[in-house]
Amino acid sequence: MSPAARNIALAIAILALATSAFFLQRSQVYLLSLCCVYVMATMGLNLTMGYAGQMSLGQAAFFGIGAYIDAILTTKLGVSFWVVIPIAAVACFFVGLALGFPALRVQHHYLAFATLGFNVLVYLVMRNEEALTGGTFGISNVPRPYLFTWSLDSERAYFWFTLAALVIVAILMRLLLRSPWGRAFAALRDNPIRAESLGINITAYTLLAFAIGAAYGGVGGVFYAGLVQYVEPSTFYFTTSLMMLLAVILGGSGRFFGPVIGTVIVILLPEVLRSSSSPALQFMQKWYLVAFGVALVVLMVWLPGGLLSIGDRRARKAAA
Amino acid sequence: MIARAGELLHVDALHKSYGAIRAVDGVSFRVGAGEIVGVIGPNGSGKTTLFNCILGQIGPTSGRVALAGDDITSMSPLELARRGVGRTFQTLQVFGQLSVRDNLIVAAQEFESTLPRRLFARPDAGLTARADEMIERFRLKPVAQLHAGRLSYGQQKLIDIAMAFMPRPRLVLLDEPCAGVNPSLVETLRELLAELNRVQGGSFVVIEHNMDFIMRLCPHVICMVEGKVLAEGPPQAVQSNRAVLEAYLGN
Repeated sequence: MSPAARNIALAIAILALATSAFFLQRSQVYLLSLCCVYVMATMGLNLTMGYAGQMSLGQAAFFGIGAYIDAILTTKLGVSFWVVIPIAAVACFFVGLALGFPALRVQHHYLAFATLGFNVLVYLVMRNEEALTGGTFGISNVPRPYLFTWSLDSERAYFWFTLAALVIVAILMRLLLRSPWGRAFAALRDNPIRAESLGINITAYTLLAFAIGAAYGGVGGVFYAGLVQYVEPSTFYFTTSLMMLLAVILGGSGRFFGPVIGTVIVILLPEVLRSSSSPALQFMQKWYLVAFGVALVVLMVWLPGGLLSIGDRRARKAAA
Repeated sequence: MIARAGELLHVDALHKSYGAIRAVDGVSFRVGAGEIVGVIGPNGSGKTTLFNCILGQIGPTSGRVALAGDDITSMSPLELARRGVGRTFQTLQVFGQLSVRDNLIVAAQEFESTLPRRLFARPDAGLTARADEMIERFRLKPVAQLHAGRLSYGQQKLIDIAMAFMPRPRLVLLDEPCAGVNPSLVETLRELLAELNRVQGGSFVVIEHNMDFIMRLCPHVICMVEGKVLAEGPPQAVQSNRAVLEAYLGN
């Protein structure tokens, strides 16, 4: 497919998705919105991990920081959602920058544990700083924003709003990856020693990969808080980071649409299995998590490069 | 440090010790602008350690390295790259998941404008033409769009060397460019390096075990044994030097 044809196909798919909200139940629209907000976060993680090669088990912390910034600023100070987005993005950018420093010294599973430790730390702050975060009870009644005078309170309106925001951040990510920065991130991932000998500032790019990935997590968190209208610490525990990591790897780490496919599967597949109404699949109501687990194992064995590597696999088989 | 006219690199009394082992033991030599210098010596004679000391990968115990009169001793690889010092490694070092063209572009893009500006620069950083010229020269055109990691060893070797020349460095240190390369490609490599020396005008220092390659490419050869420079001069003179023959063949 030519790039132009691909863009048209993509635009049609997005419009179809937006239109589908007319035909779906409220709870189904909510799930689609949930996919969109998580995709923002996993897209950021894909930059940090898939493109720049920096392992992270702390993405849920940034997602949580974004969500709490929204919840605190909108409920306690009455700050507009629109102002919160840049604040959360910038705040997470700088926290992500700080988290990037361990990555300058350690890599792979050591880095995974350093970032996991950070995630637990953020969780503890959320749980224990009750005056600010509401402790384990969290913060409820987080308002949804207005678009000019149009309330985004309805499930459908908020879905369209989130989808539009996702398209915008995805386009920004695409531009970033196509720029010389994107190529430098890939060089950092493939061979940092060679990269440095070619004048690539691996310190700067490592930190930037974390910071930009974190900013995406933070923006996703802001939209999450607006969607669920309630934040509490356990959502942002490191198990959520693991789920995000799974989504990236399942879809195809280092591929643009990898986190999209992966996140949709991780969020929707269990729901689809559980709520299936066909008699043949009724046993799934009890067994859906088992089926989900088995499906993951099979997928990872079959396609370790993620679902989107299936094209490469076919090409390689054809060549062999 | 004052550079002699036309001198680019000056290595002065470089030492590197690991405990009692003197891997590099007082090596001094000069490389003129545009000159090609070969470094030969048996395995373990300290050639790669010498390279790593010059290139800031490891800090020398003592001694100095100067580039066009500026002290560059123990400078980071990044800083050296910015000053126009390029290198290749003993083993293949390409970016496997990037296309051949992207490997070449990424090798030079960091020398174009500043880091913040590159975010908004054209995707190819204006380097497609230069990359394609290099692809043509290295006969990589049929594979230019393919991922470098998928290509044969010989093709990856060509990419590896082409990358080092993309930023048009003033000085390139090549660590065994012929290792693992078949004889016909060795000849191609020799021609390419001689051509790049002519076209780009940089100075090269080449570590190599392939004597024929060194004799035909380098007008000046240094022979290292046990961390010291044993002989230095035109290739024929070094090759017929008694001490060199003894070091290679034993008594």
